[in-house]
Amino acid sequence: MRDWNNFLQESKKYIPKGIECEIKMISSINSLTRFANSHIHQNVEEEVADIYLTIHKNGKTITLNSNITSIESPKDFIDKALVEAENSPDDEGWPGMPDAEHSFDGHKGLKSRKPEERADKVQQFIEAGKDLNAAGYCSTSVDNYFVWNTNGLESSDSTTSAFIDGIFRTDTSSGSSHRGANSLEEIDSEAAGLEAFNLSHDSQNPEDIDPGKYEVVLGPEAVSTILIFLGVYGFNAKSKIEGTSPIQLNSQQFDEKLTLIDDPFRDKSLGFKIDASGSPKKTLEVVKDGVPKSFFHTRRTSKELNEENTFHEIFGWGDSFGGIGTNIYLNPGNSTKEEMISEVKKGIYINEFWYCRVLDPITQVVTGLNRNGSFLIENGKLTKPVGRLRFTQSFISSLGVGNIISIGSESRFADSEFGEGILNVPMLHLKEFNFTGGVSG
Amino acid sequence: MFDLLEKAVDSAIASGAKYSDARILNSKSRSINARNGDIEDFNESESIGIGIRALVGSSWGFYSTYDLGNNSLINSGVKAYNIAKASAKVPGKEFPLADVPVVEDQYTTPHEKNPFSISSSDQINLLVNSTEEMKKIGSSHASGRLDFWDTQKWFFSSQGHKIYQNIVESGGGISSLSIGDGETQIRSYPQSFGEYRTGGWEVIESFKFENEIERLVEESNRLLTAPQCPEGTRDLILEGSQLALQIHESVGHAIELDRILGWEAAYAGASHLDLKKLNKHRYGSDLMNIIADATLPGALSTFKYDDEGTPAQRVNIVEEGIWKGVLTGRDSAAIAGVDPGGMVRADGYGRIPMVRMTNVGLLPGKSSLDEIIESTDDGVYMETNRSWSIDDIRLNFQFGCEAGWLVKNGKITDMVKNPTYTGITPKFWASMDMLAGKDEWVFWGTPNCGKGQPGQVGHTGHPASPARFKNVRIGVKG
Repeated sequence: MRDWNNFLQESKKYIPKGIECEIKMISSINSLTRFANSHIHQNVEEEVADIYLTIHKNGKTITLNSNITSIESPKDFIDKALVEAENSPDDEGWPGMPDAEHSFDGHKGLKSRKPEERADKVQQFIEAGKDLNAAGYCSTSVDNYFVWNTNGLESSDSTTSAFIDGIFRTDTSSGSSHRGANSLEEIDSEAAGLEAFNLSHDSQNPEDIDPGKYEVVLGPEAVSTILIFLGVYGFNAKSKIEGTSPIQLNSQQFDEKLTLIDDPFRDKSLGFKIDASGSPKKTLEVVKDGVPKSFFHTRRTSKELNEENTFHEIFGWGDSFGGIGTNIYLNPGNSTKEEMISEVKKGIYINEFWYCRVLDPITQVVTGLNRNGSFLIENGKLTKPVGRLRFTQSFISSLGVGNIISIGSESRFADSEFGEGILNVPMLHLKEFNFTGGVSG
Repeated sequence: MFDLLEKAVDSAIASGAKYSDARILNSKSRSINARNGDIEDFNESESIGIGIRALVGSSWGFYSTYDLGNNSLINSGVKAYNIAKASAKVPGKEFPLADVPVVEDQYTTPHEKNPFSISSSDQINLLVNSTEEMKKIGSSHASGRLDFWDTQKWFFSSQGHKIYQNIVESGGGISSLSIGDGETQIRSYPQSFGEYRTGGWEVIESFKFENEIERLVEESNRLLTAPQCPEGTRDLILEGSQLALQIHESVGHAIELDRILGWEAAYAGASHLDLKKLNKHRYGSDLMNIIADATLPGALSTFKYDDEGTPAQRVNIVEEGIWKGVLTGRDSAAIAGVDPGGMVRADGYGRIPMVRMTNVGLLPGKSSLDEIIESTDDGVYMETNRSWSIDDIRLNFQFGCEAGWLVKNGKITDMVKNPTYTGITPKFWASMDMLAGKDEWVFWGTPNCGKGQPGQVGHTGHPASPARFKNVRIGVKG
């Protein structure tokens, strides 16, 4: 806070009148304790204080960012930006800056956690797996974000998070689990360890099965992969602008059981309550009963598409990325895991997807693999573990009308290819999923 | 800078660490993105900070900060020690560090024109003009990007290393995206996501974007009406940049010793390779000779010392199809009983150094792309990566390319869209039967290799020339 106040007060002296200027700072302590082969092998902590300066002058825009140590003086930093702005082309898409009325005061003096506390959580996870080989991490973070602009906006927010994520391995199998929360105390690392242990233990000596179309029951991590891909490549308004988004607002594009809400203010949600512009985020209905209702917008995309800003500008990702949801909740259904499995005549239980890549953005055909616990389901029971399978499947169709059989009743934060703490989801039971290859290719 | 580093390292050793090293980095970067003649992002950043490692028992402790004040430096050493010491609650087996020469040296990557001394308006104009022209002649969505890095590193260890390096890297590329009825097609140059090398502005000048604009737009538009790549088992001919990514994914990651030892198992994954089979395992055909060489002039992963102070070197990874080497650090090399290869690097001062690919490439053969095509009766030639996916032990892969062409009776015939191929690593490499020569050998660079927790982005190089693979499964569809 002191660094921010000092920097801001000094900077204000050198900002010429008549220009638009935005200054942001993120200061964080990020700590991560990493374990492999059932012991802690890496243990890291990073202190960050980065400044972002955006100047819009005579129709031209420039953004510079530096950590606080590399800025010799606020005056030099601002002078450099003013010169670079002159070299920039006209910025016809400049969306302006939020007004003072969007200011948000959320700064709190939060403290970082000790490495011994993370080591305790790691120990609990490992011990839950008896003699199996454990690997993973336990992380804690404290993040503070400050924004000021020449429209008079002054915003700040602070947040903490804690995660444990790990696997157990045997010679022929692995099983994983993940937990996230605002504080380390809320992380039940023993339960996470037990879940990963059971998956690894039960999936030993997997058998190959023929590729083809199968009914699937997906664990939270597999569900989060599908949703984050739709979020980044579909609901991101930037994709709409580029003509690559498959999302059609107000059409029955998904099964009516699907309702997605982006809700940064829900109890125990993670992350900042303001977006990168310093404006408070809003609760957004993304999909209602299978009907897409909104894209994720930034200042620039809302201006370009002439739609309302939804305040999903991501700090540090730049204007070319667009916006994504950061607090996505998939509304739970009524089915327990056991009930979902009992309804499957022949299908596959997938705990987690891996290395998914989009083959075609408009149809959202994605290829990837399963890992960390997969089982054949026959006549309502898990009958045997199955090995690696490659799927090639449209994620839009996977959630399409009639393809969601049921949604799990329990939700949790699940990891995703675009970060943790973004998605809170239950399990899903889908009617059909296309597997195109097995262990032999 | 060495004085500052010494304070931090001495503090860690005085606290009880058995070894400590530290790096101060001054990192400058410039990134420019353009779309349809407009600049979308111009971002220039700079950071200075210290990262210090302390080895206590069986664990590394690492602490980094932007604060280079005297008290902070001393505190950094203590913190790195305390973080490592906390790991003793869940200890492993203690390990030595492999011996490396202790040197005092300095090095700068060769470059003619420092990209930060070139006017940013020249760089902006190149992208604005290129994307404006592509849009004008029919691209639905023309994009371009340039990236430059100028990194100064000072490295000091408790064993006495004092090394200064200045690494300058440049790269970028342009793409034309065409949007049709429910589909998109793209063509990129020099490769998807751009081409990157050590060097200055001259790297970008050598690309000559202006010569490729018309072709990119014509091909991305033509792909919209091209037939789908047929499904089936055929001969596959890969252009160099796609083969470079194939090497990266199915060889480069698999030979990382930290993965083989299980240190990355929970996230990036492990490896199908077992150290007991080193010098025996057949990785591919006799044509397969893979090196890891951090000394290749101009390649993206070229330096003089890695981030542990180990000298850059060339290591044979696969010789005539037999697996011979791995990518190592001082700790993993000692544990596995192999020589340290100087392959440990970190993404900035705030990240712990880890095993990273250097320039992992396929040595050239004696053929040429023309000869390969002439000798192919029924195959598909594929160019430029569009998607990539591989399992966590680096066996089962599927790649998609931007464009394909059928090859019939020794001639390129029809263009086909959405070409994909899939396979299993050793079976695929065993099927390589023709390999182009040195004239077509290019030091392809990958600037976006993700690994580690917290995540790190690595810059890796992959020399490759076009090659043919027999009887590959092609045209997998969803």
